[in-house]
Amino acid sequence: FDCYHMKYFELLFTTGRCGAMRIMMADQGQEWKEIVVDFADWMKGDLKATCVFGQLPKLEDGGFALYQSNAILRHLGRNHDAYGKDGKEAALIDMMCDGVEDLRLKYVKMIYQEYDTGKDVYIKDLPNHLDKFEAVMAKNKTGFLVGDKPSFADYSLFEVLLNHLVLCSSCLDTFPSLKSFVEKMSARPKIKTFLDSEAYKKLPINGNGKQ
Amino acid sequence: VSLTLTYFPVRGRAEVIRVMLKDQGAEFDEKVITMEMWKESTLKASCVSNPLFGQLPIFEDGDLTLYQTNAIRRHLARKLGLYGKDQREAALIDMMDEAIQDLLNKYVKLMFEKDDSGKEGYLKALPTDLKPFEKTLSGDKGSFLVGDKISLADYALVILLIHHQVLSPPCLHAFPSLQSYLKRLCARPNLHAYFHSDDFKNRPIIPGKRT
Repeated sequence: FDCYHMKYFELLFTTGRCGAMRIMMADQGQEWKEIVVDFADWMKGDLKATCVFGQLPKLEDGGFALYQSNAILRHLGRNHDAYGKDGKEAALIDMMCDGVEDLRLKYVKMIYQEYDTGKDVYIKDLPNHLDKFEAVMAKNKTGFLVGDKPSFADYSLFEVLLNHLVLCSSCLDTFPSLKSFVEKMSARPKIKTFLDSEAYKKLPINGNGKQ
Repeated sequence: VSLTLTYFPVRGRAEVIRVMLKDQGAEFDEKVITMEMWKESTLKASCVSNPLFGQLPIFEDGDLTLYQTNAIRRHLARKLGLYGKDQREAALIDMMDEAIQDLLNKYVKLMFEKDDSGKEGYLKALPTDLKPFEKTLSGDKGSFLVGDKISLADYALVILLIHHQVLSPPCLHAFPSLQSYLKRLCARPNLHAYFHSDDFKNRPIIPGKRT
């Protein structure tokens, strides 16, 4: 493959479900082409009908179409040697990514369903979820969740932490390993370039504008 | 090398692990944790403080201890050759599995609701969720969701379909390919024996409540 194509909404489910994969591809020096789907076009139904589960994102890798954001992340993980060095690391990476996904689901629920009423409670409860990742990061000592190089779980965690820092800029203050992780990931040259880009900065995190 | 599954005495999230191991003829031990034991919190606390997310199931494979049902499932799938024949099939299996998990999460949410008020709406929406799987399994391809061998995703779908038939016996009437798929998979000798066993039949789907 030389270049991936991605289809995504412009305004709905924007960075949220695509963020981690973009950061990963950027960091891995993998070029990709983004096709932004206008919501009005989406509602016409033609493209939706061609999507296996009627959803985006879609990744086209050569002639091969893949849906489901976590399936895409894993596929990229396999392609870019970001799935651990052996079966044991792979299992631990899966475990971490599933844990991140649980946190992302809670975040998305708050953002879309309970932002005004639930934001403060969510922020207050957040340390109870972040402490697990802090413990793993601190124990591993490499600056990554598993092993000594970034896996797709790291990109997923990084992206979710970036979004949480927008929600509450002090949320990592009591988690030194996570804070350092975010700083180090952000400073990786290709990630820094991507995060500084107009392409990244212009996309809202969430489709309803809340963050 | 010994395999041990630790879980509550219900089918719940762990059943798909049992089904996979039983079908593959892989021996494993089970440690049963009752709700009373769980609430005593020493085990829960150790789940929280050492590995991670304060939840069951726990799976031990020799000296590797895993949490998160889907990480456990993927580990076993890699170990037992249930993850497709190449990376492309692995990615498609992940895609199918993510969609199955989406439906499973809806099902679990319904099961834990306080009353039956959501059931009608759920059953009305169900055909939309089942259609992509029906489509995948129809036509000349159809033995398994991906490729020509049973995978991670098939085990998840089989048990989900079985439990949906308990919820609503006619739910597959409009889906001939799903019906024949279910029949075929349940006729596999080890699965047939397991699904007819007291072990399976006497284990409630979820703790205490209605099926």
